[in-house]
Amino acid sequence: MTAVARDFVRTFSNVLFAVSLFAIWAVLTLLGVVIDQNQDPQEYFGAYPVPLARAILRLGFDNVYHSPWYIGIIGLILLSLTVCTFKRVIPARLPPLRPVKVDKIPLNASFEVAGVESSVRQRVEAFFARHGWQVRKRTFDGTEWTFADRHNWARRGVLVAHVGFVIIAAGTTIYWARGFAGETAILTGQTVTPSQTSASLTLHDFNYRIQPIATKSGIVYQPIDYVSHVTAIGRDGIPHRATIRVNHPIDVDGTFFYQASYGFAMRFTVTHDGVPVADLSSRQLEEGQGLSLPQSARSVQYAQFVPTIDKLTGMPSADPRINRPGVVLNVFDGDQPLGTTLLPLGQRLDLGQGFSIVPRQYTLYSGIQYRYDPGVPLVGIGAFVLLAGLCISLYLLPARLFVQVSPGPAGCTVGVAAMTVKGYEMFEQPFSELIEEMKKGE
Amino acid sequence: MQHAPMSIDQVLMVIALSCYVVGALILILYFFSREEWQKNLGAPLVVAGCVAQFAQLIARFELTGIWPLLNLYGSLSLFSAMSVAIFSAFAFRYRLWFAGGFVVALAAIFLAYGNTWNEGTLPPVPSLQSYWAKIHVPIVVTSYAAFLVASVLGALYLIKYYGERLTAGRAQTLRAATPEGTSVAFTVREDASVRVKSDTPAIDAAVQAGSPTAAWLSSLPSLAQLDVMIYRVVAVGLPLLTIGIITGAWWAKEAWGAYWQWDPKETAALTLWIFYAMYMHLHTRNAWRGPRSAWLAVIGLPLMTFVYLGVNVVIGNHSLHSYKT
Ligand code: HEM
Repeated sequence: MTAVARDFVRTFSNVLFAVSLFAIWAVLTLLGVVIDQNQDPQEYFGAYPVPLARAILRLGFDNVYHSPWYIGIIGLILLSLTVCTFKRVIPARLPPLRPVKVDKIPLNASFEVAGVESSVRQRVEAFFARHGWQVRKRTFDGTEWTFADRHNWARRGVLVAHVGFVIIAAGTTIYWARGFAGETAILTGQTVTPSQTSASLTLHDFNYRIQPIATKSGIVYQPIDYVSHVTAIGRDGIPHRATIRVNHPIDVDGTFFYQASYGFAMRFTVTHDGVPVADLSSRQLEEGQGLSLPQSARSVQYAQFVPTIDKLTGMPSADPRINRPGVVLNVFDGDQPLGTTLLPLGQRLDLGQGFSIVPRQYTLYSGIQYRYDPGVPLVGIGAFVLLAGLCISLYLLPARLFVQVSPGPAGCTVGVAAMTVKGYEMFEQPFSELIEEMKKGE
Repeated sequence: MQHAPMSIDQVLMVIALSCYVVGALILILYFFSREEWQKNLGAPLVVAGCVAQFAQLIARFELTGIWPLLNLYGSLSLFSAMSVAIFSAFAFRYRLWFAGGFVVALAAIFLAYGNTWNEGTLPPVPSLQSYWAKIHVPIVVTSYAAFLVASVLGALYLIKYYGERLTAGRAQTLRAATPEGTSVAFTVREDASVRVKSDTPAIDAAVQAGSPTAAWLSSLPSLAQLDVMIYRVVAVGLPLLTIGIITGAWWAKEAWGAYWQWDPKETAALTLWIFYAMYMHLHTRNAWRGPRSAWLAVIGLPLMTFVYLGVNVVIGNHSLHSYKT
């Protein structure tokens, strides 16, 4: 092995190095909690001093979880985990049976027992076997050793946990390679075939239920239910009636469709010098969409649907149920905003240059999210493997006893040393109890 | 002005809070003066408060028919009840009641704060109408409670550890038991009874010399025992947090379409998970067991509080998990 390869292996098999990677991973993860993610650059300049905002944007901390730093650190962790598992964990956790200097091990005991060596050895072995220890004997340089192991199989718990982590990483990678996701809005009565999917969905109707509830800080309009009734056609070409509601997605050929949002599409009548502009008046706009007026720099954006305009104030009410509906319109001349208006349905707004607009009729649409993720079963299996490994490692304490019987003043001296995978403190009490019992048994 | 009579859940809440406040005061007294009657009075009070809290949550569920853990009020209520329950289990097993005052005081503070979020009864929004709510929330909250208990034990470790260093009068770094380092091990020799060698020799010497502070310090469990207790509590919290994240991901898959969305609450929980995974890994190193891992357990409390409350209350409006409406 070259010096560089040796250094690489030494560094990547060092637990403290791995933990440092964990620390960086934790800090990057926390950054994404503290810094609002995926916002417009102006948002960061508004929220932070300019140098900090610039740093956030340059370093990709506005989308930290998909930044090279984040993906890189997880890659390094996986690399370190692999190297460490082979170079350190397996040799350390699954040590071969070998002799030790009993009194050099911090957890040790020795006591005198009457009897000849072979019978004492037999009694010692029988004692351990009775207490559920796995007893093995070996001879090294003519000296006989007895080894007693507890929960030996559980030494592999760490490996199980580590493998679980790798399986999760593999499952996530499969989604990146082969999965897809998206969102589509389906107007009542409309049929859509979301891109990448083989399914077509027709929305028959969308219902939502909102309940006003008096709380200590005033009325809260609590959403209770969002339901889409659809007909779905998959690869088999057979139409299926289905209901999509929150927490109850439907599965069409392995792609899941979820109830995500809803909104109100609007049909406007646009007139120029009193004559309807047919092309613009036939369109249905979703919130956020706009119309450009022909032969003019002017445009109008349908910013938002307002379910209820307060009678007294003429302003949008907090009540999301439809009572006196209206729309918020933004008017532009080129890039220049000319103004914003709250316009009740059926009322006319003069846009200048001979144009005017009337919001006519709304249609509910259902926002459906869809996702195809062939990695899910693997991620699920990985999570359970990781959990199993974690529980094995944390709740079982594999320990090995090294027993040597040698001739002593009263017959034989029994020397016992103990090692565990979690140091000595954890085993002090059970060890002292075991030794007490051994001595009592003699 | 006439007040409406209190409902049963409100009465139980008042009982729980009162038991905690009085119990915490008595147990803090017990921490310093170690009179048996203080423990005999404080411990039952604390257990009574905990029972009243669980009864309160059940009563609320019965009265409203709405799972009570879907807002910060209910969730903090379960959190404080679980902190006290986990602590009590350890206190009975390891005779830890002397530390109970601090855990219960913290639990009472969290509970009192939770009460400020009591908005009355709100039916759950669609995404929260899931059986996963009944599984995921209690598990995560219980893991947070374990981390609270671990931090108090970590603080006790540090009190004893720095007490030893101060008593020794020298800036000597005590090392946990290692084959190479100073040993906390015991050695059983012929005719000697089994004994655990003390890991605070300076305190022991000062006790012999009649120092009351040292006598008090020596009444805390040994450093090795405290270290093991912290490990055991974290070993309750970390698997629970893992299960919490897994069930959360499962729920998210049903509700929002993706098991992981990098939502602030999810990522905050992931940070906490990484932090305690670091603790577990460092604890496998001889040099990191003891004071360093105790410090980690202590730092876990502010981190957990941020993950739990900071994200909901401060940055909550950008989170799918926000309790704000
Ligand atoms: C950079 C990646 C990682 C490396 C290099 C690494 C390395 C190690 C090492 C060296 C040990 C101690 C083995 C011993 O001393 O006998 C260990 C223990 C352990 N590791 Fe990892 N590990 C990594 C990531 C993970 C992850 C992601 C998990 C997920 C849960 C995990 C779970 C565990 C558990 C449960 C233990 C046992 C702790 C105990 O016995 O107290 N490790 N790891």
